[in-house]
Amino acid sequence: MGGPLLTLTGVAKNFGEVEALTHVDLEINPGQVIGLVGGNGAGKTTLLRLMAGVMEPSNGSILFGTKPVSTMRAKLGVVPESTGLYSRLTAWENIRYHSRMYGISDEVAWNRVSHFANRLEITESLSRHTKGFSRGMRQKTALLRALAHGPDILLLDEPTAGLDVTSARTVRSLVGQLRDEGGTVIYSTHHLAEAQQVCDRIIIVHNGTIRADGSPSDLLEMTGDTTLENAYVSLTSDKARPRNEDKSKDGRLAKWWRRFLTGSTPELKEVGEDE
Amino acid sequence: MNNSWRFISTIAKKEIIEFVRDWRTLIALIVIPLLIFPALFIALPLLLQSEAAELDALELDVIWQGDINEELEMAFNESGLNVTFEAMPGGLNNLSDTGEEDDRLRTEGIEAIFRLSQNETEWRFSILYLSTSEASNEARNRILIDISAWESDVVNGTLVEAGLDPETTLDPVIWDGDVSSADAATKGEQAGLVLSMFIPMVIAIWTASSAIQPSIDMTAGERERGTLEALLCLPCSRMQLLAGKWLAVATITSAGVAMQIGGLLFAISFLASSSIIGMPTISLTSMLLLLSAVIIFAIMVVAFELALAMKAHSVKEAGSLLGPAILFIIFPALFTQVINLDGIESWWFAIPLVNILLALRELLLDRIIVEHIVVWLLSSIFYAGLAAWFAARQFKREDLVASIS
Repeated sequence: MGGPLLTLTGVAKNFGEVEALTHVDLEINPGQVIGLVGGNGAGKTTLLRLMAGVMEPSNGSILFGTKPVSTMRAKLGVVPESTGLYSRLTAWENIRYHSRMYGISDEVAWNRVSHFANRLEITESLSRHTKGFSRGMRQKTALLRALAHGPDILLLDEPTAGLDVTSARTVRSLVGQLRDEGGTVIYSTHHLAEAQQVCDRIIIVHNGTIRADGSPSDLLEMTGDTTLENAYVSLTSDKARPRNEDKSKDGRLAKWWRRFLTGSTPELKEVGEDE
Repeated sequence: MNNSWRFISTIAKKEIIEFVRDWRTLIALIVIPLLIFPALFIALPLLLQSEAAELDALELDVIWQGDINEELEMAFNESGLNVTFEAMPGGLNNLSDTGEEDDRLRTEGIEAIFRLSQNETEWRFSILYLSTSEASNEARNRILIDISAWESDVVNGTLVEAGLDPETTLDPVIWDGDVSSADAATKGEQAGLVLSMFIPMVIAIWTASSAIQPSIDMTAGERERGTLEALLCLPCSRMQLLAGKWLAVATITSAGVAMQIGGLLFAISFLASSSIIGMPTISLTSMLLLLSAVIIFAIMVVAFELALAMKAHSVKEAGSLLGPAILFIIFPALFTQVINLDGIESWWFAIPLVNILLALRELLLDRIIVEHIVVWLLSSIFYAGLAAWFAARQFKREDLVASIS
């Protein structure tokens, strides 16, 4: 396949009246590590879920090669923010469960996993139940699980969030290794410094739109700033939209009942110095 | 192996492995059902028997007030009643007037007070007792049995004195032969009737209640633990995911119901060996139809519960939804037990839940009525399809991808 791996054309995503993403055009080419950078509620996770084919866009299209991405999920490896490990299964059983779903034999999956497990220093923990795993161990296991079937694109949602310095470094190092081996990784993060360190290309997402897309030096050139942090601030200078925290789909009655039983916030009065 | 089946079986296998690794739920859903009927039918009667034997062996203290009858006194002694005689207290309206005696029954270790008074033509008596005390009730029962025997002797004596035969005078209309041999129903059919009174209810309630916990765990639980998003990223469709989870819940539920029925059959065979109840005789056709009815019922209930649990926004909410939903099974189950099956109209077999319960009752009686079978089979398949459609709708919801935690 010579062209882009993933092509997003005029993609928009609405949740009810909320526009989570507006008119996104992107091309993801093979052999790149691409950082999706943005604040909370910017639309990074929604964009990743659309690329992973678990959500359908409200408008536009997302193609893997020439086919809708939702029909090509076998070509993708996804590590959601929550990692999604089953605590009553061992790390290897978690990995094996997913690889079997991809139609990969246990032997092939084990060979692939062993290769990366050494690198992540997790080989000895593969036979342990994941219940007692630290956040770092969980993240590493989820990474192995996503790699076991040899995906064309790896989608990582905040892979270093909540990790200690050493674990975060190991994860970043693995991503670097994947790039060196010609893999394609899409990597969402809050941290600009991390994106700069790991990614060849940075996509800045703000208020559901793509504000910039290019290499770190492209972004500096685009804004005329000297640091990426300043460039990010210039590109996202408009106020971040309020995040819709209450995403519950409760009916009217349930919402009314909750409001009815919720006490009102006391009105604040100015207090004089002598009070 | 085709892809669909690979997805479904892999999902179901993983769910079952996870389930059996939690020993608490395993005990609750598999071991307890196995033991419940043997405990109910074997251990409980044994316990009751030993309690009754213990009560029989007790010597009970009784106060006898008023006139004395030697024959009765002798009978009391033989019944293990230790009698103390007292004069009849004064100022009573009648012999049942407890007067000041209730305190003695409560505090002095006396089990009963027997009062007897004779006038010119008859004897009058009463027994003061404490209905909340088992020993007091036992004393009262022993006294009543002795009085009944004594009264019978008195009546017979009077009849003989009058030159009458007590047997033909007191019982002039007699059932000829053995009452039980006049019943055309075989022992097996009688056993079927007994079982039809509670097996449908047990199956219905247990299927519905044992599916609740795994249904919640595999849907709202997955969302809360954040594992559903990773699962939805896999190359299987939502329908295959639903089918896999359905298969897992149905397998767990079926294992629970099978254990319960196994326990029940063991208890019945134990009772049959003591000739308390016969083994039910059910034809192969009825057995196959019974199995079909249970499977269709399980499809419907499990799909419905999975859908409700998936509709919920949290494990807590799923519990609040599914807990009361069990009432929709219990009420029809109780209601169906009192419906008379003789000449029942066919439309009863089209009512959701009621149809399966009635079908189970009929089949346990080995009644194969084609019209009824067609109605319950078609209507049940329709309802099961409806439940599966509702579940499919819930599983296709886009917001499932967002974990709740």
